[in-house]
Amino acid sequence: MTATRMLARDWRGGELGVLIMALVLAVGLVSGISAFTTRLQAALEQESHRFLAADLVVSGPRELPAQWLTEAGAFGLASAQTLMFPSMVHAGDDAMSLVSVRAVSDGYPLRGELTVSPDAFGEPQVARRGPQRGEVWLDSRLFPLLDITIGDSVFVGEAEFRVSAAARTEPDQASSFYGYGPRLLMHYADIPATGVVQPGSRVEYRQLYAGDTATLTDFVSRLEPRLADGQRVMTVEEGQPGVGDALDRAESFLLLAGSLAVVLAGVAVALAARRFSKRHMDYVAILKSLGATQGRIDRLYGSSLLMLGLLATVAGCALGWSLQAMFFQLFAGQLPLDPGPSGLRPYLIGGATSLVCLLSFAWPPLRRLGQTSPLRVLRRDMPLENRRTLTDYLVGLAAVAALMWWYSGDWRLTLAVLSGLALTVALGLVLALSLLRGGRLVGMSAGSIWRLALAGLQRRGAANALQVVIFAMAIMLLLMLVLVRTSLIDEWQMQLPDDVPNHFMLNVAPEDVDAIAAALQAENIRSEPLFPMVRGRIMSVNGVDLPSTDDPTVERRQRESNFTWSDTLPDGNELLQGQWWQADSDEKLVSLEEGYAEYLEVEVGDRMGFLVGAQPLEVTVSSIRRLDWQSMQPNFFLVFPPRTLAGYPGTFMTSFHLDPQNKGFLNRFIREFPTVTVVEMDVVIEQIRSIISQVSGAIELVLGVILAAGALVLIAGVQASVDARMHESAILRALGARRQLVLGGLLIEFATLGLFAGLLAVAGAELSVLVLQTQAMDMRYVPSPWMWPLGIGFAVLVIGALGVYSCRAVVSTPPVTVLREL
Amino acid sequence: MAGTQLEILKGITLEIKSGESVAIVGASGSGKSTLLGLLAGLDEASGGHVEIDGVNISALDEDGRARFRADNIGFVFQSFQLLPALTALENVMLPLELNGHAGARAMAEQYLQRVELGSRLQHYPRQMSGGEQQRVAIARAFASRPAILFADEPTGNLDTRTGAHVVDLLFELNREEGTTLILVTHDLSLAARCARRVQLEAGALVETQACP
Repeated sequence: MTATRMLARDWRGGELGVLIMALVLAVGLVSGISAFTTRLQAALEQESHRFLAADLVVSGPRELPAQWLTEAGAFGLASAQTLMFPSMVHAGDDAMSLVSVRAVSDGYPLRGELTVSPDAFGEPQVARRGPQRGEVWLDSRLFPLLDITIGDSVFVGEAEFRVSAAARTEPDQASSFYGYGPRLLMHYADIPATGVVQPGSRVEYRQLYAGDTATLTDFVSRLEPRLADGQRVMTVEEGQPGVGDALDRAESFLLLAGSLAVVLAGVAVALAARRFSKRHMDYVAILKSLGATQGRIDRLYGSSLLMLGLLATVAGCALGWSLQAMFFQLFAGQLPLDPGPSGLRPYLIGGATSLVCLLSFAWPPLRRLGQTSPLRVLRRDMPLENRRTLTDYLVGLAAVAALMWWYSGDWRLTLAVLSGLALTVALGLVLALSLLRGGRLVGMSAGSIWRLALAGLQRRGAANALQVVIFAMAIMLLLMLVLVRTSLIDEWQMQLPDDVPNHFMLNVAPEDVDAIAAALQAENIRSEPLFPMVRGRIMSVNGVDLPSTDDPTVERRQRESNFTWSDTLPDGNELLQGQWWQADSDEKLVSLEEGYAEYLEVEVGDRMGFLVGAQPLEVTVSSIRRLDWQSMQPNFFLVFPPRTLAGYPGTFMTSFHLDPQNKGFLNRFIREFPTVTVVEMDVVIEQIRSIISQVSGAIELVLGVILAAGALVLIAGVQASVDARMHESAILRALGARRQLVLGGLLIEFATLGLFAGLLAVAGAELSVLVLQTQAMDMRYVPSPWMWPLGIGFAVLVIGALGVYSCRAVVSTPPVTVLREL
Repeated sequence: MAGTQLEILKGITLEIKSGESVAIVGASGSGKSTLLGLLAGLDEASGGHVEIDGVNISALDEDGRARFRADNIGFVFQSFQLLPALTALENVMLPLELNGHAGARAMAEQYLQRVELGSRLQHYPRQMSGGEQQRVAIARAFASRPAILFADEPTGNLDTRTGAHVVDLLFELNREEGTTLILVTHDLSLAARCARRVQLEAGALVETQACP
């Protein structure tokens, strides 16, 4: 007999259904989630490229070689150039304003979209290209400020321009240091005519490139060795650290979810294979009585399994493909993104999952089928010898660990999941021993529901402990995923609450502080306190002068910085080393941000020399702080005691939240306080928020799929134990047991299993999340006491209900029928 | 039971000639099935040996005995032992396929017709009555042309009338094929149809008699 024929017959007879379903689901889930994650990552990366308006940006303080653009063209890359600088715009005789100019070449932007409106505050529309030569686009706020309308003329330097539109958003608005004040867009080729860009001007030249990743990588590797002082290649992370962080964590989560799918899949396949091999014992006994040798049986089942694996892999990959396509379909409304290609890797991972599941979970019980005694044909009550050995479990565990590691590429993530699983299994062993060794109730103890149930638990002690561990593993993985998802989304929401400051205000003169605070209060605008700010230059460390250069790639050099003073540790700052000073301290001290201290190679106790407003200042480093850079509050590298800095000339700054409908306030405000610089971050924050909400949506969706898979494992786990319980219950029924006794006993038995499983699961999940958040995801671990009642309650309820539901036939069907069918 | 050794069969010497039909009878627990298991090479004895056609099957390992069974032995069981996922035809084809028999299908069809199931080839065991299932089992047993046929309580799960019909078929085929038949039963009327009767009591052979 060939394996094909056996498979075909088994399939027809319904014997293969569960095993195939488990395998197909395993492959489908793993490849589907992996493909979804890969494509989503590509899409999000694209989205984040909008922040650069390109895939790759090279920037520099002086004009960049035109040669590079030509080379990029030869590589097949698209390119564009921009130049940013602060300047004045004039309209009429006395209307003028400081603006940040962005001159853009044809082709800009390479990624993302420009929006403009045909009048100052009209409906924004997508513009397919930047301003034409001789034209400028102005920030909406400039129209009332300069008292002009579309079609009027303005001057930048010596050149006159026609105002042709209101500039609403540019994709790379956020990634520029020159994001101060209202914006002005013009054509790159018009710069010489203005005469404002001279050698030594504070300007930033950029070359923008876009194309496929491989070409870009190749191009960058040729470019990098040729970069001169001050020239650098910008990446998305630099453009927007907040987004990079969110994407990293979301990626970790999705990988975690996929890894859990691998474990769940393994458990499901193991359960299905156990049932399959149990049911095939009689089959093998008959084959053997008919003269089949063990080698023959091994070959038969081995090749069946191989074929099964192939079939399941193909079907599973198809399922995986459909799953991810469906995800994107569901997402179509919310994701204005073009999902990237997934490549073959997700399907390779799916195939490997199938192979590993088959070899480590399905093959061991099937291989032992060959050892079935042919005597079973005469004596069906012969004990089953198909017990799993410790080796099987170890092999399975090692296989799952390897698969997870390969899948996530992150050993810390793998370790986190494994530590939770190990704790669950260890507790399960303790439980098994206590069930088996505890005071023994005799026989069925059919006198009362409770005694019946407890006797049942003991009688099948080993099988029950195994079942508890399987339930616990599935529930643990689900709890873990829910916990991580909750803390991830909470953290994001905490970072970007609805009223997060979205505007910064700089250059506030000391005499304006009270008036500005009053103006903000009058409009009911929530703001941070006004921080004093003094600009100074770091000159020396421990008496040794730092090199004087403008090259930004040299970390340890003289440079300008903003200082503030405070007698308390600013909100959201964390003291890492040293001590905070006493209020009213007269000592000459400074507190440094940790990264800043690292650049300068400075430690607590070192002396630093500054130049503030042409006067030297020598202080001692008293502490090192960590800042929360994602907080959208004013943050300072250097903080001094008030008395150290109070004598120097300075300004104040703050941040505040402005709703979009209140943007008009800025015009009134700027007219009233013309010297104040307002940095508008609202567009950037909206962009970050939209990415995060898309990522959150993806996380919820994947969580849903994994929950469904976990539920399937629970059902399979209950099903696996139904036969034995049905048999006993049918005998009880035959002997006249009431319906309540049988069902009640089953309910208590399953609910107790649920209770144990819940306890094990919560303990395992807590440990896993602890390891995961502290080691792999760089998040703060917060214990979740709510999970204990919730997780345990869920386990008791679901497993109790599933158990009784699966066995309900025993009270509605005549016992003889039940016994005959088993 | 721990610590005590249980002796199930003791000092049995039995010789069965080729083509003979022998009934092993005895009460439940007398050791009939154990003896059958040993004779058919399904089980290993802790002592003594079984020789069939000059081959000491007790000296063979499990694989050796499997090959021996494939070539020489057929079975009919009390609980039929048909594979539920296979049709009647496929069940009968099974031993032929195991032996790599070329005309398995034709042969199986022929034997099913001989047990009057020619119209039920594609039916599954669950769609058949007990008597029909046992007839499929008989067809399967004879289809591989065994030298020896072992039958373990072949009518144990059947009512008297059906049982009688099945037994008629069994003996009819046995006669036509010239097979050696070894039958275990506690049904004395069934035992009476065999040429020889062997009585087991508490694991010991107490009586051997030829039937009239």
